[in-house]
Amino acid sequence: MKARTLIGLATVLVLLLGWYVATDLGGLIDRQRFPSPSDIVAAGSQIVSRGYAGGTLLTQALYSLRLVVLGFLVAAVTGVPLGLMMGLSRRFEALVNPAFLLVRPIPPLAWIPLAIVWLGLADGAKILVIWFAAFVPAVINSHTGIRNVDQTLVAAGRVHGASAAQIVWEVLIPGAMPMIFTGLRLSLQASWTTLVAAELVGAVFGLGKVLSTAYRDIYPAMIAVGMITVAVLGALTTKILEIIERRVIRWREY
Amino acid sequence: MSEIVFEGISKVFPRGGAAFTALSDVSLGIPDKQFLAIVGPSGCGKTTLLRMAAGLEAPSSGIVRVGGRPVNGPGADRAVVFQQFALFPWKTVRENIAFGLKCKGMPRAKRDELALHYLELMGMSGTEDNYPHQLSGGMQQRVAIARSYAIEPQVLLMDEPFGSLDAQTRTLMQEELIRISRVNPRTVLFITHGVEEAVYLADRVVVLTRSPGRITEIIDVRPVREAEGWDRLASEEALEMPGFGHLRARIWRLLRQEMQAPSTDQT
Amino acid sequence: MAGILTAARPGRGQLALLSVAGTAIFFGLWQILAISGLVSKFVLPSPTEVITAGLTMVVEPFAGNTIQGHVIASFGRWAMGFALAAGIGIPLGLAMGYWRVLDAMVSPIFEAYRYIAPLAWVPFAALWFGTGIGGPVMVIFTGAFAPCVLNAYRGAHLVERHLIEAARTLGAGSLRVMAEVLLPGALPSVVSGLRVGAGLGWQSLIGAELIVVSSGIGYVLVQGQSNLAPEIVIAAMLAVGLTGLLIDIALRFAESRIRRRWGQTA
Repeated sequence: MKARTLIGLATVLVLLLGWYVATDLGGLIDRQRFPSPSDIVAAGSQIVSRGYAGGTLLTQALYSLRLVVLGFLVAAVTGVPLGLMMGLSRRFEALVNPAFLLVRPIPPLAWIPLAIVWLGLADGAKILVIWFAAFVPAVINSHTGIRNVDQTLVAAGRVHGASAAQIVWEVLIPGAMPMIFTGLRLSLQASWTTLVAAELVGAVFGLGKVLSTAYRDIYPAMIAVGMITVAVLGALTTKILEIIERRVIRWREY
Repeated sequence: MSEIVFEGISKVFPRGGAAFTALSDVSLGIPDKQFLAIVGPSGCGKTTLLRMAAGLEAPSSGIVRVGGRPVNGPGADRAVVFQQFALFPWKTVRENIAFGLKCKGMPRAKRDELALHYLELMGMSGTEDNYPHQLSGGMQQRVAIARSYAIEPQVLLMDEPFGSLDAQTRTLMQEELIRISRVNPRTVLFITHGVEEAVYLADRVVVLTRSPGRITEIIDVRPVREAEGWDRLASEEALEMPGFGHLRARIWRLLRQEMQAPSTDQT
Repeated sequence: MAGILTAARPGRGQLALLSVAGTAIFFGLWQILAISGLVSKFVLPSPTEVITAGLTMVVEPFAGNTIQGHVIASFGRWAMGFALAAGIGIPLGLAMGYWRVLDAMVSPIFEAYRYIAPLAWVPFAALWFGTGIGGPVMVIFTGAFAPCVLNAYRGAHLVERHLIEAARTLGAGSLRVMAEVLLPGALPSVVSGLRVGAGLGWQSLIGAELIVVSSGIGYVLVQGQSNLAPEIVIAAMLAVGLTGLLIDIALRFAESRIRRRWGQTA
């Protein structure tokens, strides 16, 4: 095993051990505020088997995951084409930019109260906010991606007699793919962040509800379980996106 | 005393599964204040030798000694001039040259004075407040050389220092280097691809084989240089001297054999 | 599809005109939609109503303070969290870039931390700090920390090996190498990271203020929502966006100044 992995593992183990000793054994830290490893395991098994805040871990996680995926997909489907069009046509960009610039600096989370006013506490509000959070990076990166395509390649295409449409589909869009995927990765990250926030503000169900209920019940171990689940789901979805990226962009060396 | 001694140096790089032997049992001595050039085909380990003398790499076996003491790591007694100049882009010319003096703890006034002195030696007075990116390649390399000279090292290690320069600048820099070497002689290890450059500058030329690197031959240039009086000639005149031509041809023949021979390394 | 396909670019005047047209269309449609009565006044206020609400809050306190008072309170929290994130994150990133052992030790923990959405820390922050200032500061810190570390780390790696070697062959010790070679060499990347971290920190702050309500512009948002006064909500949203934009512009400016000063024309 490489030295680097060993050192990393060793550090993690030492920290885990220290944590265990400080909480379970030594009682050095107030377990009302900071959970011990055994607390977390207990909370974890509770939510997996009996459920918490209205459902088991699986149902809560799937519920949140559904919202994220929906919001993300809508954002991708609306944002990427918009960004591409803005990149392809300076006229279109000039037309659309003012509205975009006005709306862009507003943090997605700041949309939550407005979304609640418009759509209440139901799913719709959350999807709207997630959509908005994921929309912006998708647009920006697609736009940059297509603008950054090496102009020599475009020239090569035109010299070979390609039509405008052909250049767009065969040169520009493939060339922009790496950046489009960078944008999608950022969109996914933003989706998860916004989901957690939206559910913390007001939710009936989902991982955010687990977190806020655990907070109200002063149940730090359950908070930790919620956070870990969010992290794991985030990592999983990111990995899936990576796999898709590798499939789509086969020409790149990884 | 600042002689460099390589004793039984071997260097093996692990490359995935197979190992790459850059150097195999190389022993070489560079006496105090001698100018030694190493030529050889690409990838033959000549840069590795220099880096070991600099303390930037350790030999797989064997010992490198400078001034009698084994080399343990980089230090200000062995200055290095890199092919890429390696000037700090965020420091002015003056600050670059003074850097080594700053590391020694010299007060600002004194080190600025010394920096300007070495800048003048390189014929570049007036550029002290410029940033590296504002200078041409040749000028940058001159600053790099000044920076190395400023710390008054025992040993100067030059790794293809003129490789990134265009042909004309290179010739001028070679003449420059000869000039300052006569004024300020010190032990020099000079790595190059250029046979003419090696013959023109060096006291002795070492020809290295391809991997596994070994010494093919060591050629003493001094007798020919003194006999034909190159130092009194311009570089283009020296290049035309018969003795120069013989040496150059001889070294080229050795290199050609090396480049055409199959590599004896198992990679 | 003109633009990058043809060599000819549409004239500047034409583009400016389109931008103006775009702005006019945007606000025009908004105003018409709001006035027409197709949508309830409690859902979409007109642009004029939003501006009126905003200006009113400049003079009259709402939810405890004038709007600029709220913005300043939020900004203060953000500044503290951000300073902490930068002050710890940048040296850590540089050190990790220089010492492989430290990198190996810290990386796994850092990677795990990165996957946790910053706002997921709010419950713990509230639990540990109650309604005190520590809560928001902690949340801002978690938002701004990662970009600071990552960019310092990447910046340190981008510093050419030869520069580090040159410094060492000139007699520099480890600390001097970090201070005089790594830091200046990584500076463009570090400042870029600061910009991203600032933005994320600001977003985290707003999020935190939405959830753990006390004061600040986030609080205004929530109050506007519970009062069913969307004109206040939108006005506050614009205030949030504007402040975030100003922070970003200031940092971009600093970034370009630093790039020029350190002699790297980017």
